[in-house]
Amino acid sequence: MKSFAVIYAIAASLVFFSCTEPVDSAQVEDLSVTPTLEASLLFVEASENVINSSTDTNVFSNEFNFDAFSNELFAERVIDGSITYVITNTTSKDLEIEVEFLDATLNLIDTEFFNIQAAPSTVIKREIFYGPSGRNLDIIRNLTEIRVTAVNLSGTTSTSIENDPLIKLQSSAKFRVRVR
Amino acid sequence: MKTRPLIFIFLLFACLFVKGQNKQLLYDFSDIPQSLLMNPATDVDFKWFGGLPMLSGQSFYFGSSGVSVYDLLANDGVDFNTKVRERVLNSMKISDELSGNFQTEILNFGWRGKNNNNFYSLGVYLEGDAIGYWFKDYALLAFDGNADTFRRFDLGHLKTRGGVVAVYHFGVNKRISNELLLGARAKIYSSIVDFSSTQNKGYLQNTVGENNLLRTTLDADLEMRTSGLNVLRAAEEEELASLITKRALFGGDLGVGFDFGLTHQINDQLVFTASLLDLGFIYHSSDPKNWTINGSASSEGVEIILPADLLNPDEDFYQRLIDGIEELAPFEENLDSYFAFRPTKLNASIRYNFGEQIEREIDCNCGPYATANSAPPKYANGIGAQLYAINRPRGPQTALTAFYSRRIGKLGAIKTTYTVDKFSQTNVGLGVNVQAGPVNMYFMADNLFAYQNALDTNYVSFQLGLNIISWGSKQ
Repeated sequence: MKSFAVIYAIAASLVFFSCTEPVDSAQVEDLSVTPTLEASLLFVEASENVINSSTDTNVFSNEFNFDAFSNELFAERVIDGSITYVITNTTSKDLEIEVEFLDATLNLIDTEFFNIQAAPSTVIKREIFYGPSGRNLDIIRNLTEIRVTAVNLSGTTSTSIENDPLIKLQSSAKFRVRVR
Repeated sequence: MKTRPLIFIFLLFACLFVKGQNKQLLYDFSDIPQSLLMNPATDVDFKWFGGLPMLSGQSFYFGSSGVSVYDLLANDGVDFNTKVRERVLNSMKISDELSGNFQTEILNFGWRGKNNNNFYSLGVYLEGDAIGYWFKDYALLAFDGNADTFRRFDLGHLKTRGGVVAVYHFGVNKRISNELLLGARAKIYSSIVDFSSTQNKGYLQNTVGENNLLRTTLDADLEMRTSGLNVLRAAEEEELASLITKRALFGGDLGVGFDFGLTHQINDQLVFTASLLDLGFIYHSSDPKNWTINGSASSEGVEIILPADLLNPDEDFYQRLIDGIEELAPFEENLDSYFAFRPTKLNASIRYNFGEQIEREIDCNCGPYATANSAPPKYANGIGAQLYAINRPRGPQTALTAFYSRRIGKLGAIKTTYTVDKFSQTNVGLGVNVQAGPVNMYFMADNLFAYQNALDTNYVSFQLGLNIISWGSKQ
């Protein structure tokens, strides 16, 4: 049975002579995974015809359910981020647009106001930050309804010389979340 | 030569189907019974053999072609997140893999038939095999997200498969002539657990929107298939062992497969061998559960276009968006049965034997002093090359080996190999076979240099076993 001693010796020496440099497995706890996710948020478009046909100065006022951010999967993980608005007006109207954020009990928790001049006007672009360097992140966490109101300041008779004149509100959201 | 067309057909067939563990040390090591599992046509001399239950054949392999444990966990003062960023996210390719395999023989024995030219073997072994390729774009999405980039995240990067299966096998090894040995093995698979997600396609991408600032598109044809996971997960702890045993004893998903092999003596000293293993499939029907996302959906957020949307001022526009996405790219679950092909392996070798001729143990008119050989002679030394290929989800994965083998009287034999594959360019292995009377024991280990720092290796593999062998008595 000396043969077995030989093979055990070989196996044992393999284990004996195998070395491992020191490692620190606790480092894994330091792993930070914080992707930034970006997607469009809200798009509202109204033609000049719609504005002129409106009997009220309020061209549009409506509330939308929007509970993507208050979903706990997102709300508990969001770190910071921003919402970008771009408003383009090719109508002949001076307009006011107000974007309001409401919580679950319809309390107003944030407002963004835009004063828009008639065409030819520049495109308005505004980025609102939330988190440590911006507005309170709880606004985003509690957001469940968005109310958009558009007010016409220029009457209902003027018409634009532009082709297919319209007012449009574009927006996107970009938020960093903690996956780990 | 009549055998040449056979060899050609064999190789052609093999190339078509080429899809475990590279056991280059065990392959064609004809003093070890387990070499018959690597090539059913291995030129063995045994009268009979019996493996010690649960001890006759154990093998284990772990491979990581992109990064080692030490690369990430070294106590080098570098921030862990920096290491992950530099050594994983920025370095690993989608062809990099993490894979493992184990094989445990439960029973294995063989005997020579009344016709000395035939050798039979049968047994049972348990095999676990899993592979996962680096899902690069999923990782980039998880770590960086999709902001400020129009990158098309390729959902096809998810490729993984694995399972545990009990294999019942019966093999025949037949000497056709002095020059040719053919072998075949039939297998019945009893799958305990299986999972696969290998045919995924699609992408996730942000582009400039048509109306809004961004358009996010999900185009997906994704599927994860599983079988056996649910019953095992639902089982109480005390019934788990009996459930696994039951599934291993034909109570799980069944399949069939075949191994084929040949050994061709080109001349007295030159030998060509080849084998094709696990050409088969398993039909998973006992406990399938699959998940799919199939479809294409784009979103530019909640969209309200007036005056059209004034017609339904109370409509839930957000819910309309969510419903639209779910309808176009639904996430679904089904219980459909499925076929899974086994990872087929190809082995081939060319060996040049030299040195002193040694007597064969087989009862034959052969050997150094024979006047008319009925079996080819054996030599103390062998040198040659081996090719290994396995069919993987990203196509065949190959390894090339150079080897030298040496018989040391009746005490045993050694084999040493140098292998080049995707895991290592410095893989030197050593196999030792020891024979003490009827008791046979072998131990083999790969990538020996890696044992200088075992955690810094991309590849670890070893095999060992214990058998009782009888050569009978020569006439």
